[in-house]
Amino acid sequence: MDCGKARELSLDGLRQRLPSELAAELREHLSGCAPCSNHAEAERVLSEVLDASLPQYAAPLALKRRLAASWPASTPAAAPPRGIGRPAWASAMAMAAAVTLVVVGSTAFFVQQRSELRQLESETVNDHLRMLGGAPLAQVTGGLHEVKPWFGGKLDFAPAVRFAGNDDFPLQGGAVEPFLDRRAAVFVYKRRLHTASLFVVQDNGLAFPTSLRTRTVRGFSVALWKEGDQGYALVSDLNLRELLDLQAEIASP
Amino acid sequence: MRQSLAHADALYNFARWLARDPVEAEDLVQETYMRELGAAHQFDPGSNLKAWLFRILRNAFIDRRRRSQREGSPPSVEDLDADGERAEPAMGELQLDQIRALVAEDVSAAVHALPESFRTVILLDLEGMTEAEVANVLGCATGTVKSRLSRARAVLRDRLAAYRQYAEEGSR
Repeated sequence: MDCGKARELSLDGLRQRLPSELAAELREHLSGCAPCSNHAEAERVLSEVLDASLPQYAAPLALKRRLAASWPASTPAAAPPRGIGRPAWASAMAMAAAVTLVVVGSTAFFVQQRSELRQLESETVNDHLRMLGGAPLAQVTGGLHEVKPWFGGKLDFAPAVRFAGNDDFPLQGGAVEPFLDRRAAVFVYKRRLHTASLFVVQDNGLAFPTSLRTRTVRGFSVALWKEGDQGYALVSDLNLRELLDLQAEIASP
Repeated sequence: MRQSLAHADALYNFARWLARDPVEAEDLVQETYMRELGAAHQFDPGSNLKAWLFRILRNAFIDRRRRSQREGSPPSVEDLDADGERAEPAMGELQLDQIRALVAEDVSAAVHALPESFRTVILLDLEGMTEAEVANVLGCATGTVKSRLSRARAVLRDRLAAYRQYAEEGSR
């Protein structure tokens, strides 16, 4: 594969839209070509920044109500058989009401879900700042095997965390901290001089996303995800790429 | 096609980025649905409803821009030939770090500053559309979408790096 082709395919490669054979060819080229590797990295960073920072606008509720109210009462596929249906005006009103309910309901759900995610992100940053402010950490000279038993009796669940730290992200310790209306197990990792806090909670009633979601909040990189019945919130002043490296280690089976 | 109302949020988001104005964005979404109803018989039930709606919205936006030009408004940056923009050379690690550090305001400004044709492919790509679906919206070949998206992303990277550099120089 030449450089022109590699650059043409780098975005598709990033999105895993390439057939496996072509993806392997691309990986091989990138591993031996610094300029193309740099180009692929630039594409990845741009995607991250757009995903994390470009605002998304939800349609105002008033607009949705207007759309629903002005929608035709029925379509040919939905029309009742002649002679056995309600009067046309009744069908029209029922259809308009149903559409309004669906649209307004889905909007309310969308807005509420978004607002709950924002609340989780904000709480994660606040709690991280509290950790940086000097919350006491459990001793972890023995690594994860000392931290996890330490949580026994302090939490009503066993945090499912397998990553015991490594040379890049050594585990510093554990703590139990309030997180919204419940208690979280906190795992603190280091990266050079940066601190990353991982909050693990039981997710019942909270809006942890089923797939990984990242965002920059007040200058902190935040990652939220869910696994089983536990919610995970990872936060640091590391850049998003390094935070994602740590997240990959934590989420690795 | 009542299910088309489920795309209202995505359409409104697209309209906001195209028109840069919330009121005009609402008008565009309403116009999109009106046009959809008027042309419902032209829609092939087996085809992509979302791409069709986006195409209607973009056509409505272009029609509005053409009308406002005929009425005497000066041509905006949107009307300039986006193909004139050229990709910059590959970036260094420092520039990538600068881009990572950008805030939403900078990213919004950079996207808003793109010519319409570039902004459109960036937004449709972010919507998760494939190149074939974007080509359907724009009414052009898939190859055109691929090259336009590549150039749009290169220009965006360049501008984002420039914003960050400018912000850092300003803070010194």
